[in-house]
Amino acid sequence: MSYSRSPSPHPTGVGGWSSPGFTHGSGTSTPHSGLLSPTTLGPSGISWAAAKAKSDEVRGYPSFATKNNGFFSRSRRQLSATLPRFRLGSGSPNGYVDKDEFRRGHAFASTDGGRAWGFSRTVFRPRRSRLLLVLVVMLLGYTFLWTRIIEAYRRSPLGGGRKFVIILESNIEGGVMEWKGAREWAIERNSIWNKDHYAKRWGYELEVVNMLAKKRYSHEWRENWEKVDIIRETMRKYPDAEWFWWLDLNTWIMEYSYSLQDHVLNRLGEIAYRDINVYNPLGIHHPLTDPYLDQISLSPTGDNDTSSINFLLSQDCGGFNLGSFFIRRSLWADRLLDAWWDPVMYEQKHMEWEHKEQDALEYLYTTQPWIRSGVAFLPQRHINSFPPGACGDGDDPKIHYQEDEGDFLVNMAGCNFGRDCWGEMYRYREYSKWLNRTSWERLKERLNGLRDKLFPRVEETE
Amino acid sequence: MQFALPPRRVPITPVYGRSSRFSLQRRKQLKAIAILAVALLTIFFLLSQFFYTSTGTPAVSASISGVVIVTVLDRVRFTDEYIEKIVKNREDYAKRHGYTNFFANVTDYESSIGDSPQSWAIIPAVRHAMTSHPYSQYFFHLDAHALIMNPSKSLGSHVLDKQRLESLMLREVSVVPPDSIIKTFSHVHPEDVDLIITTDNEDMNPGSFILRQGDFAKFFLDLWFDPLYRSYNFAKAETHVLDHIVQWHPTILARLALLPQQTINAYSKDCSAAAANGIYKDGDFVIRFLGCDTDTKRNCEKEMEPYYRLWQTKLKAE
Repeated sequence: MSYSRSPSPHPTGVGGWSSPGFTHGSGTSTPHSGLLSPTTLGPSGISWAAAKAKSDEVRGYPSFATKNNGFFSRSRRQLSATLPRFRLGSGSPNGYVDKDEFRRGHAFASTDGGRAWGFSRTVFRPRRSRLLLVLVVMLLGYTFLWTRIIEAYRRSPLGGGRKFVIILESNIEGGVMEWKGAREWAIERNSIWNKDHYAKRWGYELEVVNMLAKKRYSHEWRENWEKVDIIRETMRKYPDAEWFWWLDLNTWIMEYSYSLQDHVLNRLGEIAYRDINVYNPLGIHHPLTDPYLDQISLSPTGDNDTSSINFLLSQDCGGFNLGSFFIRRSLWADRLLDAWWDPVMYEQKHMEWEHKEQDALEYLYTTQPWIRSGVAFLPQRHINSFPPGACGDGDDPKIHYQEDEGDFLVNMAGCNFGRDCWGEMYRYREYSKWLNRTSWERLKERLNGLRDKLFPRVEETE
Repeated sequence: MQFALPPRRVPITPVYGRSSRFSLQRRKQLKAIAILAVALLTIFFLLSQFFYTSTGTPAVSASISGVVIVTVLDRVRFTDEYIEKIVKNREDYAKRHGYTNFFANVTDYESSIGDSPQSWAIIPAVRHAMTSHPYSQYFFHLDAHALIMNPSKSLGSHVLDKQRLESLMLREVSVVPPDSIIKTFSHVHPEDVDLIITTDNEDMNPGSFILRQGDFAKFFLDLWFDPLYRSYNFAKAETHVLDHIVQWHPTILARLALLPQQTINAYSKDCSAAAANGIYKDGDFVIRFLGCDTDTKRNCEKEMEPYYRLWQTKLKAE
């Protein structure tokens, strides 16, 4: 044993230990120090009783908190708790001890120990320690900072995230019509958190807009119409942004891993349809046939160029749905927002237009050819899945959220009318949380599942 | 065990020596890497800037040029003789300046107009002209009851030329007389103008206007022609709707140039609606007989006759 000059911890040495994950066998060897383990077992390791206690802890009994507070037991607990594999052989407490002894035996074998020492010598030699430091820093940086770096990049002008703004309505009516209760607050808080989480991840801007009932709109009975003004204001506020994604408050983004670019806007050619006859619940006459119109206006699919799409929405069973839609900054959009608000049309139709601005858009789409050439539709479930209960109780796979197909967003449309908004949102929130669990959680889950399959809970039945 | 730490001096010197040699090489490498990285970043940045498409530019291609004169004729109510005079007048003018004529009939658009007044036909007619002449840039709609009295003036030099337009455009003027609170913008540049029009004493008058081909034109015409406007029973049909949309929709106002009436829309002395200086004087570009077809006391054919003769003698004199 002539390596005492090394500053490195030696598994069997007196000097200390490295963290259990790094060197082979270190977890088992630390008790040799005799200082850190409060057990009185001495250097030889674990007795049957201690092993059984630990085995019990692994199964989740909280008794460990009072006894075996030492390092050994703590690290043992971590190791075993995070690695279910460890317990594969532990159908009985004997298995546990056997395995442990088996491994310890290996650690003490001369070849194995020698190799471990050789490795640590290269790593821990004074000059190499810098390398180790760099490696450790890189590892830490990767685990803790990498996502932040990626997010910062996406937010930067290079990343392109700033070209997208999510507009989320909130504070509907401002609680003027009825007091906002705990559920309303919860819906608002959760919905905003959901969009914020998504926007942060992809570097998008989130604009939470206040739908407070304003006299300006109320005196004309124009609630909901402020959408138009709000989009215009938001466009002014974010001069760099290109696409604006409107979301109603009662929506939940289920899949955080879908970027707007990859999921929607970069593949409009494949997913968007411009010929409304593909799905036409309103029975809008399309294409137009007036002989004085130009080729593009007469064509069922416009100019077939995705770059001319300025408005993207989906249709539900009742026609256009503006719970989740995209509008692109363009002259076309300016004109649409301008025409949308026209008072003469409104004056004549506001009694008929039950869905307010949504009906107005349907009307404009029907009567004004220039609008058709800028509008494209997405299959509903691509950006706007409905929960069961919206659009009929059925489970239409075109309309309703399908649990195993990775739908992007759920819009709890119409939940104010006889359904439970908060209940639905809670359910989808939890489901989305489960869908977006980390790979580590997935692994644990799978291993646990495997264990349960291999060793059905016999302990409980005993 | 005794020499837990090595004697300091001996190993340190070679370490320094080695490290300096090492860092010299290393520095070169680092420099190269840094230069490469900066270059890559620059290229990437430039490319991303280059491929970033601005969304604010109008989509008017440069290959479009030429002028089309749009006239909507009512062959049912008026004699062929009268119609022929109008057509002759337009054809002569088009031939002089290399323009194209587009004659439409009110009856062509009956199915689109429905129950609304026939005067609405001018809107689909202009849209139709644009469809038929997709490579022409300007569309000059002139009412049928009008004559081009000074055919030597080309539209280009008389109105469309940038400097000329800049000098003619009325800024900060009420768009609907006499005192609409909506006024023309002060900062509109001639190159942004898509619609050139005039007001008379009462309204913005669609009997004579110039519209540039492009997305704006489609938007403007489609909006103007919306069925809800047609069914609203505006007293002056399309004229009042024009007043309405220009005042309520800034996207239209921002592309509009308002000219003094006599430049493209002088009225004959029988018309009551002319603005100050709006009455036809010798040398003016066009004369219109506004209202001759709606006022039962007037007769378009009789009113036009003296001016038609005047135009003919002018032609002979040249």
